[in-house]
Amino acid sequence: MYLRLAFRNIFRNKVRSLITLGAISFGCISLIIAGGFIENTFIQLRESYIRSFLGHIQVYKKGFLEQGVARPFDFMISNPDEVIKKITDHPHVVAATPRLEFSGLLSTGETTVSFIGQGVNPKWENQISTFVQLEKGENLAEGDTYKTILGKGLSEALMAKAGDPLVLVANTKSGAINALDMEVKGVFFTSSKAYDDRALRVPVEVAQKLLHTDDIQTIVVLLDDTSETDAVIAGLNERFKKDGLDLEVKPWYDMADFYTKTVDLYKRQFFVLKLIIGIVVVLSVFNTMNMAILERIGEVGTIMALGTKRRGVVTLFLLEGLILGIVGGVIGVASGYLLAMLISYIGIPMPPPPGATIYWTAQIEMVPAIFAFAFVLAIVTSVVSSCYPAIKASRLEIAEALRHNI
Amino acid sequence: MGIIKIEKAGKNFSLGKTIIHALKGVSLEIGKGEFMAIVGPSGSGKSTLLNLIGCIERPSSGTVMIDGTDIGSLSPDELAEIRSSRLGFIFQSFNLLPVLTVAENVEYPLHLGGGEKRTRAEKVAGVLKEVGLERFSSHKPAELSGGQRQRVAIARALVGSPSIILADEPTANLDHRTGEEILNLMKDINRKMGATFVFSTHDPKIMNIADRMVELRDGEITFDHVS
Ligand SMILES: Nc1ncnc2c1ncn2[C@@H]1O[C@H](COP(=O)(O)OP(=O)(O)O)[C@@H](O)[C@H]1O
Ligand SMILES: [Mg+2]
Repeated sequence: MYLRLAFRNIFRNKVRSLITLGAISFGCISLIIAGGFIENTFIQLRESYIRSFLGHIQVYKKGFLEQGVARPFDFMISNPDEVIKKITDHPHVVAATPRLEFSGLLSTGETTVSFIGQGVNPKWENQISTFVQLEKGENLAEGDTYKTILGKGLSEALMAKAGDPLVLVANTKSGAINALDMEVKGVFFTSSKAYDDRALRVPVEVAQKLLHTDDIQTIVVLLDDTSETDAVIAGLNERFKKDGLDLEVKPWYDMADFYTKTVDLYKRQFFVLKLIIGIVVVLSVFNTMNMAILERIGEVGTIMALGTKRRGVVTLFLLEGLILGIVGGVIGVASGYLLAMLISYIGIPMPPPPGATIYWTAQIEMVPAIFAFAFVLAIVTSVVSSCYPAIKASRLEIAEALRHNI
Repeated sequence: MGIIKIEKAGKNFSLGKTIIHALKGVSLEIGKGEFMAIVGPSGSGKSTLLNLIGCIERPSSGTVMIDGTDIGSLSPDELAEIRSSRLGFIFQSFNLLPVLTVAENVEYPLHLGGGEKRTRAEKVAGVLKEVGLERFSSHKPAELSGGQRQRVAIARALVGSPSIILADEPTANLDHRTGEEILNLMKDINRKMGATFVFSTHDPKIMNIADRMVELRDGEITFDHVS
């Protein structure tokens, strides 16, 4: 009976109920769209960091992370091919590629500048290092020998272009000086100008030859699924331990400092948004219920005179709030879903993230947790904001309330 | 012994700093099955007295006993319990719930007490027949005339088989003829079912239908006549 009364009472003032339902569903939709947008930004940002540079996992010699900056050549992985084989054996691993970093001087004969070099395996690296974009010439390829690609700023400083000869000079692992004749194959740029001003890449074999070593420093691992990162790390650690390998493993999220900070910031902003939407829904339902009670003082008097207890009156008005919340939540979640699909289909053009140069397209991520949260928020806030009006109605003086009927 | 026994009942209202003595030590005993009218000018305390008998308000002083229960010490929930189980109400403005149908309005008091759905429906059909509105059970109150609405209200007051039915100016919003019909219907029910009726009115012609007439003036009984 209360349910029937509550239902019909809602339909009594259709315009007002529609406005309230609109406010509740609008709250749901905003949460779903904003939350899904933020989540999508996180994912794209994360994937771009991972797939353009970091990889999901990096493997080093134990101690490299603490002391490698000062003594980079004291912590090297000595049998790289064997280790890489072990890593690629693991399920979910798509690629594992070695990197060897070094620094030195680069000369055209006329001009000499310092550089940071990275020895890479072109075949695999080209999958991971999508942040390296070729501006002129060609990227390194499998089988290249004394070829190099230069960062844009570096190539400009040297006035070198594709096909030009160069000399690379660097300290070997043991401290001697070595030089190699190279040919410029291409010029690249990344999202970081500072990096492009100093960086060059060579095939890893060339770097090893220059440094007089067979070792490498880092193995970058790419997975087929980011959510498998922790599982793969556990698996690799176990494998290395079993095989007595002195290696350590680092996940992408420990390396992507900027990403984790950004996520943290956005999560806080999203919390504020949730709060604001919650308040809007509360005020709107509160207003509706309050008006409903003002209009129905006489009726409350009647049903109380007939023997309805205070609890019954509270139940009646809370049910109205609950129904408004459920209906508004269902409409909100459903239209949020449709709108999210539509927006994702069209795509939101986005400016490059800080420090980057590439425009991208954001979509709305369908996160079940956000949908559930929006629905629960709609119901909880509607019921909560009906509480005060409901209790107020149940406390009416019956005789006084009855006079409103005349 | 009376089913309603009021002893030196007073009721005060405070309006700001002034205290209004709406009832001043009223004593009254009403027997089972009586059909009694409370008359008196506007503001004389008729509604206040009916509210005391109806367990809607508690007296400021004195005692009000309904069926042997002193209502002065009961909690709001206990008063609600008495209202739904032993009392029936008919109001001046009918007070039907506009969103419910005639049958649902009549059923409302039954749902407070629980009980099976089928027996409830039977009772509703029974009282609607009693007031001659069985054909209107699925109508909304807005589709009925004033007299018909008051009949629905009478059916609603009857449906729980209360021992006392209270009516505060039940005919005030009806034309004279309809008012008389309503009073006669109440009287019929009173005779057939033996329920005690207490109603207020200031229509002198209608007063005559009553078996007993109590006149209030300024919160005091000035006249008590059994015909
Ligand atoms: N809730 C109230 N607050 C203040 N005064 C009241 C209240 N209820 C009734 N009164 C006063 O009590 C007196 C009796 O009122 P009432 O019982 O309604 O009279 P009647 O029904 O005979 O017209 C009137 O003076 C009225 O103004
Ligand atoms: Mg009155």
